Amino acid sequence: MDKNEVQKRVKNVVATVLKIDEEEIADDANFIFDLGADSLRSVQLIAAFEEEFDIEMDEDKALEIQTISASVDFIASYLD
Amino acid sequence: MTDRFEIHQKNFKELFYPSSVAIIGTNNVKGTVPHDILINVLHTGFTGKVFPVSPGETSVAEVKAYKYVIDITEPVDLAIIVFPSSVCHLALEQCGQKGIKTVIIISAGFKEVGEAGYERELKLKEIAEKYEMSIIGPNCLGVINTDPGVNLNASFARKMPEEGNIGFLSQSGALCTAVLDYARAKHIGFSKFISFGNKVDINEIDLLHYLGDDKETKVILIYLEEIKDGSALMKTASDIILKKRKPILILKAGRTSAGASAAASHTGSLAGSDEICDAAFEQAGIIRCDNIEEMFNYAIAFVYQPLPENKRIAIITNAGGPGVLTTDAAIKEGLELAQFSENTTKILKKNLPSTANIRNPIDVIGDAKCDRYNIAMSNAFKDDNVDGVLVILTPQSMTDIDLIAYEVVKVAGQYNKPVYTSFMGEADVSTGVDIVQRNRIPHYILPESMCKSFACVYKFKERSFRKTVENEIYTDIDRSIAHSILDEAIRDGRSYLTEEESVRIVKSYGLPALKNGVAKSGEQAVQIADNIGYPVVMKVISEDIVHKFDVKGVELNIKSAEEVQETYSSIRRNVESLQPDALIKGIFITKMIPAGEEIILGIKRDPSFGPVIMLGTGGIFVEIFKDVCFRVAPVSKQVAISMIQQLNSYQLLIGKRGNPSRDIEAILNCILRLSQMAVECPQIKELDINPLIVLDENKGCFVADAKIML
Repeated sequence: MDKNEVQKRVKNVVATVLKIDEEEIADDANFIFDLGADSLRSVQLIAAFEEEFDIEMDEDKALEIQTISASVDFIASYLD
Repeated sequence: MTDRFEIHQKNFKELFYPSSVAIIGTNNVKGTVPHDILINVLHTGFTGKVFPVSPGETSVAEVKAYKYVIDITEPVDLAIIVFPSSVCHLALEQCGQKGIKTVIIISAGFKEVGEAGYERELKLKEIAEKYEMSIIGPNCLGVINTDPGVNLNASFARKMPEEGNIGFLSQSGALCTAVLDYARAKHIGFSKFISFGNKVDINEIDLLHYLGDDKETKVILIYLEEIKDGSALMKTASDIILKKRKPILILKAGRTSAGASAAASHTGSLAGSDEICDAAFEQAGIIRCDNIEEMFNYAIAFVYQPLPENKRIAIITNAGGPGVLTTDAAIKEGLELAQFSENTTKILKKNLPSTANIRNPIDVIGDAKCDRYNIAMSNAFKDDNVDGVLVILTPQSMTDIDLIAYEVVKVAGQYNKPVYTSFMGEADVSTGVDIVQRNRIPHYILPESMCKSFACVYKFKERSFRKTVENEIYTDIDRSIAHSILDEAIRDGRSYLTEEESVRIVKSYGLPALKNGVAKSGEQAVQIADNIGYPVVMKVISEDIVHKFDVKGVELNIKSAEEVQETYSSIRRNVESLQPDALIKGIFITKMIPAGEEIILGIKRDPSFGPVIMLGTGGIFVEIFKDVCFRVAPVSKQVAISMIQQLNSYQLLIGKRGNPSRDIEAILNCILRLSQMAVECPQIKELDINPLIVLDENKGCFVADAKIML
């Protein structure tokens, strides 16, 4: 899967979990500072990504990811 | 003071008296810090504008919210950041772009969690410096200002404290909440209440300086866990105490932590970090407290009542036993029971029952109502021999506790002398206690605490009105000798000087050293001894030997050339046997002087307070008897005198019990010269002069042994 596709699907998941407009999600948006994710939502996002991409992520490492672009790279590494 | 200090003092107006506050990272989840802080600001009477900033919400607590602080079009004086630590720098950067000058960062997750957190803190400091902002925190409870003109509760404390005149600074946020609750129960109010957390930027010195000038603050309380710049703390504190007459009370944690060095010198092993802290605080006039209760016991005495003119107290009680306890406690604290005038005694005798005790303590006896308390208090206050009144009440069945409390308040308000109370008990007296506390009469559960507090206030008054004396600088010294020896040793990578070198250094600063020489052979030793005059003392010189007695490297009272020859060889043999790896550089020979008092003088360089001078009863048992005291250099003559007077052996020095009186002036001279050396020779890490042999009055003293560590 190419990165553009991963990014599209990541933004879709984020929009759903955080209940925000997908158009408002910048490529380098910070989950907390720009998108308003709190600790509960952060855990929900990880679960949602795992379901969307059918992968199992290292939760500690996943929680360190702060931006959309970093999460795209992180998820892509699981898909490679 | 640094530029950052000047910037903070300029920015403090916005911090404590903002017209507008942005809470950045807030949310609608009740019971969380980001939410509760916003509620506190909104609902405790803040007189300015409030702007919630929350990327996920359009409103928080029914107030319009902004996605970013830069979206707010109006000016913002103060920002409170409550985002997780990972994004605080993003919020702070935007605050800087917007021109906000003061920020409180509540969030935890910085240096207290380790290296990664420490890096995050450094980023915050960088941004603050870039925009000339001032930051409180991170990892703090927040800031409270009870001034009715602003009513700011920028914290997540449960409730707004009462307005008052106590300024409180704390390094621990959790302690703050306990203190607030404790104070609330006792109706103790605050002017400013500041939790400064990790102090990445604003620290206790900045805040202390501000509170020193703050007209709403009459006494300053500080809880500290570490002191980075002890000398700045001392300087700021003593300026405030002497110029503003504001007491400063510090509760410093870590009394029991190991601080003494690994016995490199006597001074090093005796001067633990807590002993130095005690000494430094005492020297600066800071009142060190052992616990929160003691701190507030003193604080309410300072803030609620006038300072006493002197230490003569009148005790008024309705029970004999507590009267005696209070008398004992008062005497123990150095107070005096006032001797009533004839007129006072006459009036008390006429107006109190025959069974009452009209001497001091005045016992108005168990069935006393408020009228007897009135008579006793009024006449005690009117008596010129009385400087303060201590009122004790015990709850008998007929005791009108509340009425007596009101009477105490009424009478106290008519006189400008201090009154303190102790309504002994807990349950029945609680309403009476409440009355006196609400009316700013200090109350103490125990008479002992009451006396201790009165004594503390009296001592502060005495001390703060004392004139300070400038430090003397000696000009009859040769710094170049000291510096050349020290610098050469450092260049050679050495950490100890020999005794001969150490003696030359102390001599260059005018301390009286004995005639001496260094022998590298038995014959040379004899020549030197002949020149000095018998008897002599002979000691091994080796950088590898710290305590010469331990290796039998010292011999005293050598009376002849033959003995000198023999001793030269025996010392070398002893050292070679007991410490074979020690490199012997020679034998140090010095005159043996007549017996005198043995004193120890020392220097230790403290990482926080700088050079510290030690004075004590000396000799080889110094670490057993521990009759020592410390002061931070530079030391004035006044301070040096107090050091000598503090020693247990002072009574011997001034000639008690048949002892001859010794040359105190000579000791004083040595302390002052050593103090100057400590400041001017930063290469010295530790120094011992042990013993300094002090002869009879006007006969001087001599350095008998000296040791310097670099």
